[in-house]
Amino acid sequence: MSDVVVIGAGLAGLVAALRLARAGKSVTLTTKGPGGLHLSQGTVDILGYTPERVSAPLDAVASVPAGHPYASIGAEAVGSAVSWLAEEFGPELLTGDPARNFQFPTAVGALRPTALAQPSMVAGDAVGGKSYAVVGVRQLKDFPADLIAGNLARSKAPDGGALSAHSAWIDLPARKGEADPTPLTYARAMDDQSFAATFAKAVGAVAGKADVVALPAVLGSKRRDVWRQVADQLGRDICEIPLPPPSVPGIRLYDALLAMVRAAGVRFIQGSRIVSFTPGGDGVASVTLAAAGGPRHLKAASFVFAPGGFESGALDVDSFGTITEPVFGLPLTATDAGPLIPSDYWGPHALFEVGVRTDDAGRPIDAAGAVVHTNLFVAGGIIAGCERWREKSGDGIAVATAVRAADHITGGAR
Amino acid sequence: MSDKRDERAKALRERLNNELQRMSLDMCVKCTICETACPVAAVTPLFSGPKFVGPQAERFRDDEPVDHSVDYCSSCGTCSVVCPQGVNVAELNSIARAVMKAEQGVPVRDQTITQTVLMGKAMTPVAPIANAVLDNKLARYAMEKVVGVHRNAPMPTARGESLHKWLKKRPSPTKPATRGALVYFHGCAGGYFEVDAAKKAIEVLEYLGYEVIVPEQGCCGLAEQSNGLFEKASASVRRLVDQLRSPGTDLTIISTAGSCTGMLKHEAHQILGIHDPELLDVGTRIREISEFLMELYEAGELPTDFQPVNMRLPYHAPCQLKSQGMGTPASDLLRLIPGLEVIDSNVTCCGIAGTYGLKKEKYEIAQAVGQPLFDIVQANNDGLAACDTETCRWQIEKSSGVETVHPIVLVHRAYGLGR
Amino acid sequence: MKRLDTDVVVIGGGSTGLGVVRDAAMRGYRAVLVERVDLGQGTTGRFHGLLHSGGRYVVSDPGSATECAEENAILRRIQASAVEDTGGFFVTLAGDDPAYADKFLAGAKATGVPASEISVKEALRREPRLDPHIQRAIEVADGSVDGWQLVWGAARSAEAHGAKVLTYHRVTKIERDGDRVAAVICRDEKGGEDVRINCTFVLNCAGPWAGQISEMAGAHPVEVVPGRGIMIAMNHRLVNTVINRCVYPTDGDILVPVHTVSIIGTTDIHETDPDHLPIPHNEVQQMLDAGEAMIPGFRKARALHAWSGSRPLIKDKRVSVEDTRHMSRGMAVIDHSTRDGLMGMLTIGGGKLTTYRLMAEHIVDAMNDQLGENRPCTTADEVIPGSEDRKLYTVTHRLEDREEDRLDDQIICECELMNRSMFVRLLEEQPNATLDDLRRQLRLGMGPCQGGFCAARAAGLACSEKAIDAERASGLLRLFLKHRWIGIWPILYGQQVRQTALDHWIFAGTLDVEHLPQPEEEIVR
Repeated sequence: MSDVVVIGAGLAGLVAALRLARAGKSVTLTTKGPGGLHLSQGTVDILGYTPERVSAPLDAVASVPAGHPYASIGAEAVGSAVSWLAEEFGPELLTGDPARNFQFPTAVGALRPTALAQPSMVAGDAVGGKSYAVVGVRQLKDFPADLIAGNLARSKAPDGGALSAHSAWIDLPARKGEADPTPLTYARAMDDQSFAATFAKAVGAVAGKADVVALPAVLGSKRRDVWRQVADQLGRDICEIPLPPPSVPGIRLYDALLAMVRAAGVRFIQGSRIVSFTPGGDGVASVTLAAAGGPRHLKAASFVFAPGGFESGALDVDSFGTITEPVFGLPLTATDAGPLIPSDYWGPHALFEVGVRTDDAGRPIDAAGAVVHTNLFVAGGIIAGCERWREKSGDGIAVATAVRAADHITGGAR
Repeated sequence: MSDKRDERAKALRERLNNELQRMSLDMCVKCTICETACPVAAVTPLFSGPKFVGPQAERFRDDEPVDHSVDYCSSCGTCSVVCPQGVNVAELNSIARAVMKAEQGVPVRDQTITQTVLMGKAMTPVAPIANAVLDNKLARYAMEKVVGVHRNAPMPTARGESLHKWLKKRPSPTKPATRGALVYFHGCAGGYFEVDAAKKAIEVLEYLGYEVIVPEQGCCGLAEQSNGLFEKASASVRRLVDQLRSPGTDLTIISTAGSCTGMLKHEAHQILGIHDPELLDVGTRIREISEFLMELYEAGELPTDFQPVNMRLPYHAPCQLKSQGMGTPASDLLRLIPGLEVIDSNVTCCGIAGTYGLKKEKYEIAQAVGQPLFDIVQANNDGLAACDTETCRWQIEKSSGVETVHPIVLVHRAYGLGR
Repeated sequence: MKRLDTDVVVIGGGSTGLGVVRDAAMRGYRAVLVERVDLGQGTTGRFHGLLHSGGRYVVSDPGSATECAEENAILRRIQASAVEDTGGFFVTLAGDDPAYADKFLAGAKATGVPASEISVKEALRREPRLDPHIQRAIEVADGSVDGWQLVWGAARSAEAHGAKVLTYHRVTKIERDGDRVAAVICRDEKGGEDVRINCTFVLNCAGPWAGQISEMAGAHPVEVVPGRGIMIAMNHRLVNTVINRCVYPTDGDILVPVHTVSIIGTTDIHETDPDHLPIPHNEVQQMLDAGEAMIPGFRKARALHAWSGSRPLIKDKRVSVEDTRHMSRGMAVIDHSTRDGLMGMLTIGGGKLTTYRLMAEHIVDAMNDQLGENRPCTTADEVIPGSEDRKLYTVTHRLEDREEDRLDDQIICECELMNRSMFVRLLEEQPNATLDDLRRQLRLGMGPCQGGFCAARAAGLACSEKAIDAERASGLLRLFLKHRWIGIWPILYGQQVRQTALDHWIFAGTLDVEHLPQPEEEIVR
């Protein structure tokens, strides 16, 4: 039996497993499939909107309302958790300052705040006076260069200064005879140095004058320095703009984290769902894995439950509108979805604020404030209190709550 | 198209329309994670990827099969393993392919290479001749032309003595059976082509104090299933289930045939649609040998007085094992052996996927799929690699040039049971 | 003000209006159709997709039953590409009166609706998801029909015969010259100008809005009773045959496989305003119960989208306004010359999409009579553009097409397998279209992800291909998301919650669509 079973391989689960393994715990990480990193933008958001645009995320964290996941953690702990993770990744993968937000162009040309980013993105930070050459690839349908450039050109940088942008296109198949590759297919082709060189040459031929050449985030999958190769060859700054799923920058973070986790000796079980648990004492004795051929029981002294939120089905709404957490049956902040679903698309989506309430250690509590299971900790998207996508806070919450859970289990200082 | 084929395809399509697998397409949120993990789509555009041919195409399928790119799916099952939402992508694809094959007919080649027992039985008595033929370039060229098996594809090596022959000849075990009886399932490979691994598995189990019962056993039908021959596959697996139940219905069944275990645990149920209680019984009682030993270990019942085995060992967890959703117990087990530096390949698939990589039109794809694995094996070995399933071992061995064995061989050595 | 001269102005771009403009044009009239929004955006686009065999009316409304059976056969002949031959079952559920099936069979015989009883075993073999406890099953010639393909096909046919079809032209005024209709004034909503169409005849085919139109011409208001019904599209084809409940027509008693989805319908509630049709929670629950009764496990299946449509029933004094179910399904042509002393205008109401061609025939015949013309109707014989090969639609078509071109083209809407060429071609033809307009014709964003993966792609492509600027493309994207949501939130449960969460992740999280620079004026069309 392991010391800890961690459930879920999104950012929260992987971070918890890594932190625990680093502290010398034997860990089993079990997950149905990869979690949210494949869907994310491959940066670490801390807090982007309150709803006003945030430039100093840790300051904003310090003043979140009660009930927000950050409220019980505090800005300092959030900052140190995120910094620790950045160190684990190293500057080749993650860079920036948790106290300051970048403002990056998105794949439709909006300006999106985030705290830590991959070095290939940094030059995209929108400051007044910057000009962008947005270069699309005909084969990549999720990078609409004209729309991005058009919207950037009619935007002001958050500092109030003007931005300018123009678009251009290259036509360069990643594989012969394929008009519709996934971004990952394209990124894999970039792992080949000569393809990346051909790509850079084509971009250079059409980009025109601009401070930064903005490119789809497909600059390499395994090879980490493709962006540098392209920038060097172009002789100027470039920035990668993340695309909708599958996200190459997100996959880079996933691959790196999983490799670290496995190298740290974590046992990894993928492909089966945790479907229930067996109580023991005042806590959880084991969780039940629905493996092929029948249930398998994973015992541990402690459990970190990081299954995500509504997007993964960790929180479920049935056809009568009842919200449940199906594995442990944890108490939720609301159980009736009906009144929480807005008829206005742009209005607040209160349903997605529903989740588990925790104590300061990250253990689920019931309505009366009592801890549900003494050795069960939650991390990431399952925790109640905010609409992460709108706030741009999901990554920071995942990292901070995972570190909190791990540190409580190891008895480490907070 | 003959009426009989038509009927068969219709019956399969009707079943699919009503199966849970099809309902599982409702779980798909188009996140594309399956496509990022698909080893075949990674190396060729000819396969449109598991999302496309799976939950996406399935909404458009009715009666007549119109999409043929699903044939490029190797059935490795990775898509179902990684799908975070629980779509049975691989199962959907397998059934869709079976419908297509039922409509179009199955090439003679696919009917032949699925007959693993037959091959074993036929080759074993004439092993030297059979091996010589398979080693002969001209013969292999002819084989490619006539039946479509690629000339360079890995083929098993026939042994002169079958496992059952050895069992009859060998002296009785010396150690008393203190832990009760187990049923041993060796699979076609263990019975005819990789007799050595099977022998060692039996010796390890006996060393641990088990009585090992080895019933007469046939093929699980996996190769037939993955080639769309569902009727034959169902008959095979039902026959095998009866054979494995013959020694008793409460004994744990231990297997060294990784992919066949997956067939018994879930594929026959989910893909062939067999819901017999007998199958479910066998599926619940069967354990991969490493899985079983790790269960003993977790319970504190596995002797770990291993002798050191000082070497680097590249280990590849095969798809059919990963799709059992239990982690990689062989990797965990091998790490208990002192001196053994286990290097997980972390590569999705070796490419062979049962019989996929044998086919002349798929061979290049299969080799490209396996290339990262071959590279890792070549760069990190001290003369040996390990993998739990037979066709994968042949593929790795043939393409990397490194001898590849079942993990139990190393456990056997670590227990000091070797010569 | 722009001016046009024509013989007849057809008001309303639903199936009736398109049937009428086609018919009039084929009889040699100069005809102009005006529609205030896009074609098929009203009742025509908001039904369950059933091509009636007539079975539904064999007991309650024999006249309609016979009409449906005849028109069903005609549509399969002239407009095959919009019709799928699914076949249909009328099934007696466990709690239903089995004797009704006998009445049904007798009614079918009397009305000429092909119907035959099959064994329960055979019905379950063909539709294994049906409740195994059904008592009886009768097979009929139901089909499914795509209302948008239907109206656009008719529009192309009408245009080939010289008619003009003007979308986004809102009627603001109908001018008279004494007791005669003289002109229709419209607002070209996209072009931003008024258009005067001088005419000798107006055919009011505005469906639930027909009352408003007749008032504009100074006629006594035609009382239209909008009977509202909701429908829910389920993620895949739970059945491949139309399933009707074999009872006297009630609510929620039909499940129709249309394209890749199956649609359950419908309720029937009296409504006053056809522009504001709610999708109430209790009716959604009622539909799910109805589905569960036919298909056990229905509540666990994935609902994609819901909508509310309004039947254009002309008020019949014989029955209470509150009970539209028992009004005649038959069509009614109102002659304003005898009714109101207004010459040159007819209003049509009632009817069904299945009988759209016949309705047109009737109203154009009535116009002929008033004009003293003798021009015979030929609409039942001429094949409509797009159906020349007379091949009925099948659900496999797009998969087969993509199998051919998947290496050469990009799939923009993955759920509905719509590729780049399809989108660009239509956009070239209809450069002012919104993404919703294109959606109706292409099924863009109508699958499981409801636009999650294709909406931004489509907006980006429109920006690149048609020189729509980023402001309009962004506005169209916002509009599309807003419109999709109208049909999502009322059925937001189960798997669609996962999808919606992921879609929010993409639009709010990754793309930050919310913080795109705001347009000077929100784009609404």
